[in-house]
Amino acid sequence: MSANGFDPEAAVDAMAPLLGLTLTPESRAQTIVHLRIAAEQAERLLSVPLDDLAEPAPVFTA
Amino acid sequence: MSAALVEGTAEAIAAAVRSGAVSAREIAQETLNRIEARNGALGAFTEVTAKRALAKADAIDTARVRGENLGPLAGAPFAVKNLFDVEGLTTRAGSKINRDHPPAKADATMITRLEAAGGVLVGALNMGEYAYDFTGRNVHDGPSRNPHDLGHMTGGSSGGSAAAVAGGLVPIALGSDTNGSIRVPSSFCGLFGLKPTYGRLSRVGTFPFVASLDHVGPLARSAGDLALSYDSMLGRDHGDSAQADRPAPAASPTLNDGIAGLRIARLGGYFARSADPSALSAVDTIAGALKADRVVELAQAEQARSAAYLITMVEGAALHFARLRERAQDFDPEVRDRLIAGTMVPGVWAAQAQKFRRQFRATTLALFRDVDILLAPATPCRAPRLEQTTFVLDGREMLVRPNLGLFTQPISFIGLPVVTAPVWTEGQKLPIGVQIIAAPWREDLALRVAWALERDGVVRAPVATLS
Repeated sequence: MSANGFDPEAAVDAMAPLLGLTLTPESRAQTIVHLRIAAEQAERLLSVPLDDLAEPAPVFTA
Repeated sequence: MSAALVEGTAEAIAAAVRSGAVSAREIAQETLNRIEARNGALGAFTEVTAKRALAKADAIDTARVRGENLGPLAGAPFAVKNLFDVEGLTTRAGSKINRDHPPAKADATMITRLEAAGGVLVGALNMGEYAYDFTGRNVHDGPSRNPHDLGHMTGGSSGGSAAAVAGGLVPIALGSDTNGSIRVPSSFCGLFGLKPTYGRLSRVGTFPFVASLDHVGPLARSAGDLALSYDSMLGRDHGDSAQADRPAPAASPTLNDGIAGLRIARLGGYFARSADPSALSAVDTIAGALKADRVVELAQAEQARSAAYLITMVEGAALHFARLRERAQDFDPEVRDRLIAGTMVPGVWAAQAQKFRRQFRATTLALFRDVDILLAPATPCRAPRLEQTTFVLDGREMLVRPNLGLFTQPISFIGLPVVTAPVWTEGQKLPIGVQIIAAPWREDLALRVAWALERDGVVRAPVATLS
């Protein structure tokens, strides 16, 4: 899995209206900055191989 | 009453009140006077609970006359980050939006416990909006200011908590720490800060940020006061579903046991890169004093920080989603745009982060089989200037606000207990902190080490002169 192909600008423009979020031009620009940082973090994280059976940290107890 | 008493420890204040050398009312009144005189410069308090404090102090003095047990914090003032519920006050959590909420009907559990131990609540403290902050800036209330140099940041998001303690207004303040919000301001303001193990202290009556990462804990000018307040706050609270059902031994009884026999190592790799020389030199100082020559690696710490970053974005965005849709203009823009970005993070990234979290926990716990304490920088640098938005680390310019937690995030990611201890360098106005990290549920060991360093004069937390 890779986050390399993720396009923050396209994601913001596509998702904001779908999520019902109205962004000013300033807010759009900063949101793109932060989503770009997120993609960098994801790239680093996704470089770690995880077993299919790896259990997520929070486990619900019924 | 001498300034030395109120600028000293909560332990000393409580001893003086118990002995009758000073009344709880005198301490409370002097504290309120100091808040009045200094808060304008510090931006620490957002609300002062003067009437309540004086009533509580009078009750302590009356109890003393009756010969009752006054508790370990008898008459010691404390204050809380304004995400803690205080009965009768609106819990603003650093925001404008939450000011529309009705006043809290009850105190947060941690306030109830500190008052049961004799503590006197004097008010609520400034913080970064919704705790999504490492700077101490707040667009609604103004910034908290570093008492040791008012042009510099306190760090955040428990910025008011650090300003109040380092500024000599209270000996103990409560903060919260999701990714470093106790440890970063403790580092910048030269304080001892305790982020307990995840699930140790109750969060009931606090406004959340990232449920799977949120902790609460104290900041103080002495490791002894950290232990005293921590002990007073221990105990099961079924209202917090994340709280662990396990024994919670007090830390104070073993505080003086020293460091003999403890296996102490410093963290290398990730924790020795991307830092200003001041941060690494502070670790050298502490490692030298503890004779900790060993260096160990916390494998995949960088990925741990990334995973914590993504979980924070997603959980934070989920918490505030309705508010982002309906009242975006009422957020601090610096916070809002990070939260909006969080709504757009692909779910697979967050799910992978939670899977990696369990794997990283297992790797790290294995490290604790042959080490008791790990040392690491708390922040990559000393406190930046208040208006500073970027800094350079490892030759790369980065945003200040999201990156001051580089070294705290991998540790809280898996809930390890940490005491931040303050190191001062001759000729420098500002301190910098070192993380003393223990295995889960071993707050007692981290506190023991911090206390040994304090007793030997290696670390200290003086009240600022506000010159």
